[in-house]
Amino acid sequence: MILREGLCPGLSAEMVQALKANGIKTVVDLVSSDLEEIAQKYSLSYKTLVAVRRVLLVQFSSFPVNGADLYEELKHTTAILSTGIESLDKLLDSGLYTGELTELVGAPSAGKTQVCLTVAANVSHSLKQTVLYIDSTGGFTGIRLLELLNCLTEDEEEQAEALRRIQVFHAFDAYKMLDVLQEVRSYMAQQIFSTSGPVKLLIVDSVSAVICPFLGLRQPDGMALMMHLAREMKTLAKEFGIAILLTNHVTRDTSGGFKPALGRSWSFIPNTRLLLEKRKDTSEKAGRVASLMKSSRQPFGIQAELDLRNWEVRKSSPMTSGEGLNNRMVCLSDPQLVS
Amino acid sequence: MEQRDVGTFPLAPAWRAKLAAAGFQTAQEVLEVGPCQLSKEIGISKEDALEILKVIKQERHSDGAKPSEEPETFRKCTALELLEKEQTQGFIITFCSALDDILGGGVQLTKITEICGVPGVGKTQLCMQLVVDVQIPECFGGLAGEAIFIDTEGSFMVDRVVDIAEACIHHCRLIAEMHPEEDHQIALETFSLENILSHIYYFRCHDYMELLAQIYLLPDFLSGHSKVQLIVIDGIAFPFRHDFEDLSLRTRLLNGLAQQLICIANDHTLAVVLTNQMTTRFEQSRSSLVPALGESWGHAATIRLILHWNNKQRLAVLYKSPSQKESTVPFCITSHGFRDVQLSHSNLIPAENEANPRKRPRIEQVEEQ
Repeated sequence: MILREGLCPGLSAEMVQALKANGIKTVVDLVSSDLEEIAQKYSLSYKTLVAVRRVLLVQFSSFPVNGADLYEELKHTTAILSTGIESLDKLLDSGLYTGELTELVGAPSAGKTQVCLTVAANVSHSLKQTVLYIDSTGGFTGIRLLELLNCLTEDEEEQAEALRRIQVFHAFDAYKMLDVLQEVRSYMAQQIFSTSGPVKLLIVDSVSAVICPFLGLRQPDGMALMMHLAREMKTLAKEFGIAILLTNHVTRDTSGGFKPALGRSWSFIPNTRLLLEKRKDTSEKAGRVASLMKSSRQPFGIQAELDLRNWEVRKSSPMTSGEGLNNRMVCLSDPQLVS
Repeated sequence: MEQRDVGTFPLAPAWRAKLAAAGFQTAQEVLEVGPCQLSKEIGISKEDALEILKVIKQERHSDGAKPSEEPETFRKCTALELLEKEQTQGFIITFCSALDDILGGGVQLTKITEICGVPGVGKTQLCMQLVVDVQIPECFGGLAGEAIFIDTEGSFMVDRVVDIAEACIHHCRLIAEMHPEEDHQIALETFSLENILSHIYYFRCHDYMELLAQIYLLPDFLSGHSKVQLIVIDGIAFPFRHDFEDLSLRTRLLNGLAQQLICIANDHTLAVVLTNQMTTRFEQSRSSLVPALGESWGHAATIRLILHWNNKQRLAVLYKSPSQKESTVPFCITSHGFRDVQLSHSNLIPAENEANPRKRPRIEQVEEQ
């Protein structure tokens, strides 16, 4: 933050001028410098300087929140969105949590995009929520989405409604993606999507496709860009209470096994991480295994089986048919979740 | 958004570093100072300062601060609009109905399709078939488009394209004879060998530099040739499989290339077809053939087709697709080009009828006679 007149009471134009002339340009510079020395050197009032520093510190510090209040707020704002795939819901402790980033990691054709499309179809149709879908690989296909919706409902009007609730963005490079996230944020702030209720789910397929072209040795920029994207998504998730579903690639490590792309610093970003794999030991081509790589709720390493083939004939469970939204938004006071 | 971080704008790294050093953090702070003051504060020329402000202002403009419709519309739409667009845009048929079937109608526009296979299995044949097929007139169920062929291996054979094109014209003639309609006759007049050949734009790239340069120049070329509906790169792997000591550089270049291609495919509503070689991977004591260029390249293509031999039969495996399930079909290559295997022909036609309402079945019927 640059020092300027009117930033806080007591910081006058002359003072800013004097400070600037001596290399103290930002708030950080001022706060971290020796005030006594400055006051003596540039004949500024020591008292004012201390006061200004105090005000600035208060202004830029974060505000403490009572844990009880936090819990209360959490209960009111957190929703758990069912993915529409029973086994996956179980693995994720009943679904995607708003305010959190859930990441799907997998090799090519492991089913990442299929899971994304299924979740989009389910949240849009069964939960009647607006879904934002950022596509950076061209993997989004309306035809497949229609097929998936067809399993949920046969009413064409309802299908069209559900499709209308899914908003697709194309962003084929990292800056475009930042633009789109920014756009989403300003729309959220203005509640433009509010025609069909607030947005609860953002899907980004895939995040590594846009970052990978920038990453490499001697490429500090790529890292910065990655962190900007991460921060933007975290902010969106927290501030507006959205669940974010990301997809990420895999790369091979030196021992020949798979590991998620984007390296260690990215691995701290998602709250929950799922690895999707094709099943090797069966002849069933559509069988997929999802295993938990990171989670703050469930034990590490538990697995669930997904069957891509059966998604087409999946029966809608009682949870996903005809009930109001509120019933499905399980609050955290639910005993199962607290324990 | 006023609070957007300066680091998230596409600025030169040197400028970004200077802005950060001077304490500029958000777009708002930069915009509040004028260009003169900005140039003084961070020690750059006034032109550069203006440039920075321009970038930030433009970005903010497209952020939806003022909803200007034109550039936004293609980036953002509802799934319903997208579905309608997909349903009207058609496919490039391969002349092998079984393959069309597993691809969901043919090679899809706005997607990248990667064809992998061992040498001699028919990758280039399929590419040459596609550059002809994309030009089939609309009344015969084609796209009436044009094609770009980027050749890195020198495997493009124009005499073979002539064979394929002649066979294709012959098919259309037969259809026109069976269904004498006026528009068929008119379409056939312009659908000549010479026209087909002149609508294939052939680029020969000798190394990866040339290939990258060519691909980054494609948008310019496409703005002058708006009818292009297919870009073929035969093959993507060859220039990248040698001369690379720094493998992370290769990965980075390839990833950038893939993003550039999908961007072009989406902006110009065209199909991108790449061919890739196979390589041997050793796992413990076993070895297997896998597509080249490594694991991360596997994510680049939206649709991945692997061609391979089984005894003396050529097979096509749909390995990856967001809309179709994995499946394997046989195909063969005749003197006329890429075709169905005749034995299974009768079984496949009913399925074809259901899956593809376009005019394909009629072509098949002609073919049988």
